[in-house]
Amino acid sequence: MSKQSKLVAGEAGSLRPSTVGGWSTVWRYGSALLLFLVLGVVIVAAGVVVIHDVRSTGLEAQKMYAGSVRGLHRIGDLQYAAQETRRSTFYALSTNDSNLQVKYADQSRAADHLVVEGIRAYLHEATTPVEMAVGQRLEHDWLAYLNVRDEVLASILEGSTKEAVDLDLKSGVPLFDRVREDLEAIERLYDDQASQRLANVAASSRRAMIRLVGVLGITLVFAIVSVWVIQRSRMQSAIQLARLQMEFVASVSHELRTPLTVISSAADNIADGLVEGKEEIKHYGSAIRRQSHQMTELVNEILLFASTRDRKNAYVLRPLKVSALIDSVLARTSELVNSVGFTVDVQIDPGLPSVVGDMSALSQCVQNLLVNAVKYSGRSRWVGVRAFLSDSEVHKGKEVSITVQDRGIGIHRLELPHIFEPFYRSAAVAAEQIHGTGLGLSLSKTLAQAMGGDLSVVSELGVGSVFTLHLEIAEDEKLLVASAASGPDATVEK
Amino acid sequence: MRRLALLLLILVVAGCMSGAWPRGSRQHDGPPSQGPTSAGENLAIIVNQANTVDNLSTAELRRIFLGTRGHWNSGRRITIVMMEPGQPERAAVLRQICQMSENEFSNHFLHGLFTGDVLVSPKILATPLGVRKFVFNVPGAIGYLRTSDVDASVKVVRIDERFPNEKGYPFHVTSPSAK
Repeated sequence: MSKQSKLVAGEAGSLRPSTVGGWSTVWRYGSALLLFLVLGVVIVAAGVVVIHDVRSTGLEAQKMYAGSVRGLHRIGDLQYAAQETRRSTFYALSTNDSNLQVKYADQSRAADHLVVEGIRAYLHEATTPVEMAVGQRLEHDWLAYLNVRDEVLASILEGSTKEAVDLDLKSGVPLFDRVREDLEAIERLYDDQASQRLANVAASSRRAMIRLVGVLGITLVFAIVSVWVIQRSRMQSAIQLARLQMEFVASVSHELRTPLTVISSAADNIADGLVEGKEEIKHYGSAIRRQSHQMTELVNEILLFASTRDRKNAYVLRPLKVSALIDSVLARTSELVNSVGFTVDVQIDPGLPSVVGDMSALSQCVQNLLVNAVKYSGRSRWVGVRAFLSDSEVHKGKEVSITVQDRGIGIHRLELPHIFEPFYRSAAVAAEQIHGTGLGLSLSKTLAQAMGGDLSVVSELGVGSVFTLHLEIAEDEKLLVASAASGPDATVEK
Repeated sequence: MRRLALLLLILVVAGCMSGAWPRGSRQHDGPPSQGPTSAGENLAIIVNQANTVDNLSTAELRRIFLGTRGHWNSGRRITIVMMEPGQPERAAVLRQICQMSENEFSNHFLHGLFTGDVLVSPKILATPLGVRKFVFNVPGAIGYLRTSDVDASVKVVRIDERFPNEKGYPFHVTSPSAK
């Protein structure tokens, strides 16, 4: 059994035919949806990456503003306050009114407090050793200048203008120049930082643009490839469908032509008066009836398939006895079976519960399986039919299984996924010129599923095949089956 | 009628005692007075915080305010800070320290500057706040304030070993309303 392959659920519901292996197999199982899903994920991922890059650039710009631009504002304020400190001191020189001189001294001190606070804030936010060094140098130089400024103010207030001017020229000017140089050094640091951050923003923006173009390019290529592959798959499917339909037409034509030829020949012979005697006419009539019946069966099968595809059939689901179902099928196929010398080995377990289904549809389904078994059994001339209770793989609990087994040519494992597709015929079967429409198994599976059941197959090439019809137990008998399965001591409440 | 007049008199006296009665436009930036009320407040002599002088005698103070002493012991030039004529503090200084009238004080400095006995004339400030800020800015400055106008930006010197809040302190200023 290790070499056997099993297909529990086929793809009979799809009208699209398939080829074996390769891309087509992939596409058959919803690969188009998967591709679009992947495409969507790629687009979302691309969007996330782009948004991340844009946010990074924005944050970099904000840092640049917070760091450099605010710093430049601060240094501007510091320069203004320092100039105001010195300017107010000079204003005090311009008057002899002690009250005004005190007022200007006050203004100078207020301005110098702003400078001191600004330097402290700068030192608090300084992060690099260079910034710390420049800030500390500024603080030192500013305090030195303030000492001179205090002396100058004192001299002005004392009325010693000449002393004040001399002191300012001698000490105040050089010290204030150093302060100015320190402020310019800080300004240069801020400029450097701003330039660096501007470069970072530009680089980040450039990087984001490259990523965006790259991701969009990849997405575009992926989309084009996806569409191309999907279209190619559809085109191949359409070609395959057309090929199968042509084969179907040819096969049906052939199936119709053979009995028509027999009927036509028989009619010609009778019309030409070549048939004489009652027995011979009876023989011709029998042949015409058999061939007509074969044509009717073929046309009925095609019509039934068409009706199942259009879902026009309304089935009457009711409890059916399995034995009655199998007996009905055996009666309908007895002539065929006997004519080819087949033995049908029937084993129906006793006490089987009723199943749910439409008698006509299920009979057609089992009949197809039985006819197929006869058709593909080769020389073994043996067909086994079994009906038994089994565990359901679809429904919880038990189900009734009807198996139709042959010891024929078997089915290749690569073909198993396709045998329930409409119009599909195995290459080996076609090569052996075994007639058929490719509709029987598809029709059987559709009918089984319409009954709430299923059709599965286990096959091994050169050994034979076992087709199993899974049928749901009638609702009224489910409890009985469940209680019987749980053990002899179990009681069932009704 | 007599009862009503008596009640009004009591209310006026109580208002003055509690400080609710307006005292003009004088600024009060410093700590509360430790001496008498505005009717009889002590007059503090103030110098710059950097000045090493802690105590002055009345005689030394008189020489300083009359400009006959030009420098502190440290060598720093003395800058006298006076308030504008008409201010009670200035009147108190002229009367109690310089022992001169306004005219005598003016003439003294005119004569002194002319003869060279006095090197620098006093700086005139309009308000107690101006006086305090001037003394704060000038290391050699000396001035005077009501004790209520003094704060930590300036240094109060003892006069004859007494602070303004101590008993026997010699300089007082009276408000115009008290006269």
